[in-house]
Amino acid sequence: MKTNIALLILFISGNLFAQEQKMTDAEISNFKQEVNVTAKKIKTLSTDFIQYKHLDFLAKDIETSGKMIFKEPALLQWQYKKPYNYSIVFKNGKILINDEGKKSAVDIGNSKIFGRINKLIIGSVSGNMFDDKEFAISYFKSKGQNIAKFIPKDAALKKYIKQIELTFDKEEATVVQVKLLESSEDYTRIVLKNKVINAKIDDSVFTN
Amino acid sequence: MQKSTIQYLLINCFLAIALISCGSVTKNYTPKKLDKTSYEVPYFSDSNTDYVYKTNISVYGNELSGIFIAKKINDTVHRVVFTTEFGNKLLDFEISDNSFKVNSIVSELDRKILINTLRDDFRLLLKKEYLIQEQFESESDNIYKAADGNRANYLFISKKNQKLQKVVHSSATKEKFTLTFSSENNIFAEKITIVHQNIKLKIELNYFKSE
Repeated sequence: MKTNIALLILFISGNLFAQEQKMTDAEISNFKQEVNVTAKKIKTLSTDFIQYKHLDFLAKDIETSGKMIFKEPALLQWQYKKPYNYSIVFKNGKILINDEGKKSAVDIGNSKIFGRINKLIIGSVSGNMFDDKEFAISYFKSKGQNIAKFIPKDAALKKYIKQIELTFDKEEATVVQVKLLESSEDYTRIVLKNKVINAKIDDSVFTN
Repeated sequence: MQKSTIQYLLINCFLAIALISCGSVTKNYTPKKLDKTSYEVPYFSDSNTDYVYKTNISVYGNELSGIFIAKKINDTVHRVVFTTEFGNKLLDFEISDNSFKVNSIVSELDRKILINTLRDDFRLLLKKEYLIQEQFESESDNIYKAADGNRANYLFISKKNQKLQKVVHSSATKEKFTLTFSSENNIFAEKITIVHQNIKLKIELNYFKSE
């Protein structure tokens, strides 16, 4: 009985610790500065990721995983390896897709929405997207982590994404999780792991 | 004169061939006595299973890919969602034999003709039970005819392994679209294609491999 109560207290207090608290203004400016300093240092970044698609009516989240590679200023490859091979490269105003060997390209040159998505992905991974003109941003902290929540101001973007949540490791000031909430209660959660910053990455990686 | 007669005959022959080949789905098959009055399809029937497929859609030369998700949410209704690889929801339907609801659809796909086509395709794909009126056979398959309004569905069941291989949706004279299934276990289908005969639309579904 005693152990049960002890466990219960542990559980409750654990939950309390895990809970998000709003940051103070001083904490916000400190946090933003840390993230910006870290993001500015990023010339290249590669990371493994696991994507969990949550739909309320499903028994299990749909899990896909792969690798993401970024090189300054705007080269990006997003590569799914499991359970299928699908790779998408953002490069010189083009989207190059390789879907299990089937290749295609989309010219996004002047497409505003794609330009925004590109910026969004790079911003999400590097953490540097504190743009008050684009988003209404709120800041939270929990044990070992900082969380920034972005609500798009643009109506076109808002149709697809209700809110973006970036979770940062407190020590490293880098993004460990991206959560994209859709207009309904469904979301996509992407966990970033095995991050390598500023390793040498050749431009030829960004071909598809 | 003779030349034009030959041409005339040739044209008539082609016409005749074309007309014959437009005839019913079962023209080459032998009628048979009914061995069942209904058939149950196993492939999307379990309400505990999340049916998740990598999907490629080819429509008039345009390619579209994503993830197709279907789940049986009660006795008669399936929820069907199609998302991009990144997880953005493109469409969200609820479908049964006699009901249809659009929960959401992105504006780029919000065209009545497209929605109606997908509704009919998915409805047949998810259909659990067929009532059989006629039966035929070929060397490899038993073929069951099930009425569908003023059209009909033809179910091709392999004689070798008793699995449903193909459903042909047809009017009195023309095949409209065909579903093909590949299934190892006869519980779900690993690979499914939906091919339209009158429009250039092909949908290919590949089951997510389990880890």
